[in-house]
Amino acid sequence: MRLAVCVKHAIDETELRIDSSGKPQVDGAVGMMSTFDKNAVEEALRLRSAISGEVVAITVGGPEARKTLKEALAMGADRGVIVSADILAIDTLRTAELLAAAITKTGPCDVVICSEGSSDTYDGQVPPMLAELLGLPYAGYARKIEVDGGSAKVERSLEDTIEVVETTLPFVASVVSEINEPRYPTLIQIMQSSKKPIEEMNGDQLVQQGTRKQSSVVSMAAQSSSRRHVMIEGSPDEAAARLVEALVKDGVL
Amino acid sequence: MSLSVWVYSESEGVSDEVTSAALDLSMNIPAGPSVIDLGQARNGTHSAGGKLVLKGPPSSEPAPQVAAEAIFRAARELRPAAILIGATRNGREVASRLAAKLKVGCLSEAFKVSSDGQNLFAERNVYAGKVVAKVACPLPSIATVKVGAYPRSGSIPKETRELDVGHIDGQIRVLSRESKAAGSVDLKSAKVIVSAGRGIKKKEDLAMLEDLAKEMHGALGCSRPLSSDLGWLPEEHHIGLTGVTVKPELYIAVGISGQLQHVAGMKDSKIVAAINTDKDAPIFQASDYGIVGDLYQVIPAIRKALANRT
Repeated sequence: MRLAVCVKHAIDETELRIDSSGKPQVDGAVGMMSTFDKNAVEEALRLRSAISGEVVAITVGGPEARKTLKEALAMGADRGVIVSADILAIDTLRTAELLAAAITKTGPCDVVICSEGSSDTYDGQVPPMLAELLGLPYAGYARKIEVDGGSAKVERSLEDTIEVVETTLPFVASVVSEINEPRYPTLIQIMQSSKKPIEEMNGDQLVQQGTRKQSSVVSMAAQSSSRRHVMIEGSPDEAAARLVEALVKDGVL
Repeated sequence: MSLSVWVYSESEGVSDEVTSAALDLSMNIPAGPSVIDLGQARNGTHSAGGKLVLKGPPSSEPAPQVAAEAIFRAARELRPAAILIGATRNGREVASRLAAKLKVGCLSEAFKVSSDGQNLFAERNVYAGKVVAKVACPLPSIATVKVGAYPRSGSIPKETRELDVGHIDGQIRVLSRESKAAGSVDLKSAKVIVSAGRGIKKKEDLAMLEDLAKEMHGALGCSRPLSSDLGWLPEEHHIGLTGVTVKPELYIAVGISGQLQHVAGMKDSKIVAAINTDKDAPIFQASDYGIVGDLYQVIPAIRKALANRT
């Protein structure tokens, strides 16, 4: 059993600085493993322990993305693949093309796991694009995955519905964060992860005839907040009474 | 490329919202919206546009993969300028697959779309709502439209066109569909939402907030840790980037620190009040009213103040 898990070195939105003109400083911003990717890695590890096999963590990005790959290795992935690309300059379709090519190159995979979307841009496009490009069945927004022999049963969490689907292997799945609680690597695991192999692939060589870049950012500005920020003081009873009074005055109670 | 905009969502309500978005493009893409019907027998389309019925897929609830292939076959033949799709979980799959099939760009989570006749533009939140971005994509292109961003438009379709796209098989088999928790919350339509966070010490204490929500004729929501890590509430209660997006008249955040990913789901609320023991909690930056205090004292006090009013 071979499992691939796709991870993204995403901009940490909590650390993202806004300059004096209201523009976010995306270049050189602090990165981290996209929050929900931890659930994807955890699920790959869980499936590996249930059926035994190998977990390959794959990322597309610059040299800084190694940090995220190493985190996946520290959590327990067996080896890593980094596909070089300027992640801020490529769009979702190119990312999916690079991941699809990298997965194909690493050898046959039984399950490809992604998170539902990255915590920075939250497009949620790469997992279904990946399935489309690989020609594999896709089960998105999984909250439970059970692999049994050559097939799998997946519980998909939709807006108002739980849909249980059955698919043959290999397939691509995206997971929601309810599916598991990601483990924290121990210090020993973090140290040992530096010995695990990381393969580098050159993105430009990997997909030479890809789709040209389609979407581009026209402008970015910090979200303006028009909140009043009134702090209500006093004892709990006083503060509560003032709050209720203010809310009645605002016409929302 | 024809000058038409196609609209698709597997949900009729969302389809009506996306039709409104499509009307935002009608100045530069004059043929107006055409609502795609994949056997769902849609009526509610705007009078400015028409209906495109795609025959072939067998089910009235086509899988996203099947819907994408059907729309792809039709688009190859009729070449629309833009395809707008409701950003539901299944809708995102349809849009992404379609983009990969057509090799065109796909903008996502647009709360506003526009066009200059050459490009499709989408305004959207990024970095968990910290930043608003305007993104462009040359026509023809695809965009997903954020659910709840546009009002529903509905009227009688002007013209109906039918196209046979042939039989399409999906790769996965649906074994069952079940509604999430019967009688579950409708946070989207609630006027008041009381929302619980990590400040709640034990599951039983949620009853106090549920009572407060009831007394305000509202609903109970929560931040991600409560539904995801602790499992104290079903995931339908989770408000945030990966959960439900809400915009009630009044949002009361109780014991919620105010991580960006939570704020992304409630920042369009009309009035926000927050109660937290930590005066530096980021939730106060996203609030109109803040009370620094112990929720176990403040919540009973609010309930008492409400009772005194009536």
